[in-house]
Amino acid sequence: MSGKKIARKVLFNVLIAALAIFWLIPIVWLVCTSFSAYSGMNTSTFFPAQWSAEHYLKLLQSDTVNQFTTWFWNTFKIACVTCLVSTFFVLMVAYAMSVMRFKMRKPLMNFAVILNLFPGMLAMIAVYFTLKTFNLTNSHIGLIMVYSASSGLGYLIAKGFFDTVPRSLCEAARLDGCNEALTFVNVVLPMSKPIIVYTVISSFLTPWMDFVYSKMILNAGISENYTVAVGLYRMLDRSLINTYFTQFCCGGVLVSIPISILYIIMQKFYVEGITSGAVKG
Amino acid sequence: MEDILSAKSGIGGFFSNFGTALARGDWSVKLSLLWWGAGYARRRQFAKALLMTLVEAGVAAFTLLFAMQYVPKFGTLGTVQAEQVFNIATMKTEWNDYDNSFLILLFSLFSFVVWFAAAAVWMRNVVNVYRLQLQAEAGRHVNTFAEDLRSYLDEKFHITLLALPALGVAVFTVIPILLLILVAFTNYDQQHMPPTNLFSWVGINNFVTLFSGGSSVTLGFGYAFVRVLGWTLVWSLFATFTTYIGGILMSLLLNNKMVRWPKLWRTMFMVTIAVPQFVSLLLMRNFFSNGGIANTICANIGLTGFLRDIGAISTAYIPFLSAPGWAHVMIILINIWIGVPYQMLIATGVLMNLPGDQLESARIDGANPYQTFRHITMPYMLFVTGPALVTDFVKNMNNFNVIYLLTQDVYTTTNQVMANAQAREVDLLVTWLFTLTQDYYNYKMASVIGIMVFVVCAVITLVAFNFMIRGDKEEGYQ
Repeated sequence: MSGKKIARKVLFNVLIAALAIFWLIPIVWLVCTSFSAYSGMNTSTFFPAQWSAEHYLKLLQSDTVNQFTTWFWNTFKIACVTCLVSTFFVLMVAYAMSVMRFKMRKPLMNFAVILNLFPGMLAMIAVYFTLKTFNLTNSHIGLIMVYSASSGLGYLIAKGFFDTVPRSLCEAARLDGCNEALTFVNVVLPMSKPIIVYTVISSFLTPWMDFVYSKMILNAGISENYTVAVGLYRMLDRSLINTYFTQFCCGGVLVSIPISILYIIMQKFYVEGITSGAVKG
Repeated sequence: MEDILSAKSGIGGFFSNFGTALARGDWSVKLSLLWWGAGYARRRQFAKALLMTLVEAGVAAFTLLFAMQYVPKFGTLGTVQAEQVFNIATMKTEWNDYDNSFLILLFSLFSFVVWFAAAAVWMRNVVNVYRLQLQAEAGRHVNTFAEDLRSYLDEKFHITLLALPALGVAVFTVIPILLLILVAFTNYDQQHMPPTNLFSWVGINNFVTLFSGGSSVTLGFGYAFVRVLGWTLVWSLFATFTTYIGGILMSLLLNNKMVRWPKLWRTMFMVTIAVPQFVSLLLMRNFFSNGGIANTICANIGLTGFLRDIGAISTAYIPFLSAPGWAHVMIILINIWIGVPYQMLIATGVLMNLPGDQLESARIDGANPYQTFRHITMPYMLFVTGPALVTDFVKNMNNFNVIYLLTQDVYTTTNQVMANAQAREVDLLVTWLFTLTQDYYNYKMASVIGIMVFVVCAVITLVAFNFMIRGDKEEGYQ
């Protein structure tokens, strides 16, 4: 290996290390601050002056503002139901649009494209008035409906995957006397593990990552109904930030760990899904 | 004969099938117009006849018992103002039997949708019954009820699959969007808030307010709209292209053979997108706040003093997220931090399928890495991700999180005209309409802005896709 090549190799690796460090600064700051002994925001030094894990303990013991354990449990419940409904909806729509042929298929797909052009928030504002009329705001049922009812519109990635399942397999199943429903359940689904895992994880993560809908629906409610997003956002109110900033960081760390793990797993399946789609066209 | 019916498709075909069925059908087909079950009863399909009769009865009951309470008031949206009256009989103060404009609007719309669906079922029913007649006349097998049910798991399985998701989309997306479009033509705002107050139709007044200066009360909506729209477009342009190019460069860097432990680096970048945005962005907001850690560091290294000396700032701190200009740039920079790893993932997926033979021949021809990137990698990327680029642009126009979480409570506008319209220089159209609904209950203007968002998104998408189809280079990569 020539000297020039080694120099370039070093340069490349230094460059990427520098980028990675730059990208991780906020995350490092989050983790460090969560171990600070001081409860407000530390503005004088990057690393806390005194280290302590006491705010994690405080976070897990609820008080009037902080009810992190309840919020966590709320979000978990909402996420489970949303995940179940959305996964079914997405896979059902994707299968119908990908494998089956019927007259309304193209018009429906075009209609979905147009609907997706409306910002989701737009429909949500009207949904919000409506839910408010039926006293479903500040309730988890309303929020679950908001997350999962329209999830069928997000079928495109799963459809892209189903498109790659060889048609000959479906035809063979039909010759063996399977009807369409049995083909779906017994032939196509068992072959679609990556996309099922992707759909399950991504719909499970929606309530965890979302901020705007939960703020909209739960904003006026009582603290013990909040999800993690709304609760943590509330902790940074101007009147509360000096008491709760470190606890906010602890909460951020605690909620980020499981989400990051799921997210990284999901991305593996996502790349698998889209690349297999691209290869087979 | 049956082919005549099934060959035509689309809405025109649906109506012509209906006409044919009505003209050539026997008495039972014609009677089906009145009694929906008639045709089935004639062919001794009693289960289906009963089912259709029940549906018909349901629609009739819905119309009489429910829709008639609201639809007649749709023209005025209610006239009886809510009042508390003293009831002599019970000796208590009670609410009168008032009209709720919002419920009238919502339930009228709902009734229209139900009637529309019922009309479709009614017409479809006649066609089906006529088809049944043709089958019977030709002496062919007529499906029994059990066979019909079974077909919903087979050739009609798509109906079974799509029924629930479509219902969800109809109730939670289609009806709300229609409702919002209707609200744009009313004066539904804080002064006209049901149930205590009525609101009514105002025609296109709200649109006029948005496009002109408006009266003294609404001064500034037109002014604010132009500025917010301008920033929305500038933001989407920068947010889309910076992250797109950054993502490709980062992915090329990571996939370079000379880089060691590529998986480790990739995971490190992904952690930044895996952390929920409400954590990372709120953290950034405090990191760059006026009295925050970034300002302390800048003051310590003398940057703040330097900027003050050259007149770039007039405050004792750097207003990263609290002054126009500074905030705009910071938002785009912070968005790079969030968006690049995400684009990197997608670019990695696409680059894996880069046509290897083209790269190989370029290498043999002696192309340097820059030429390969410019003439092979980039055109291929643009071809594959072109449509995604357009959707990303539209998504960025509606990127609520970045703007709201970074600037809410931190950025206050000093421009009085903007403030009158409840807008800020850093607002996107969506954050503006969110503030209008959540904090100021100005639903009418929010609806108008919502419609404008859709129009802008739709125009951009159509123009971009048209442009891409014209420049179609599909064959080149097959």
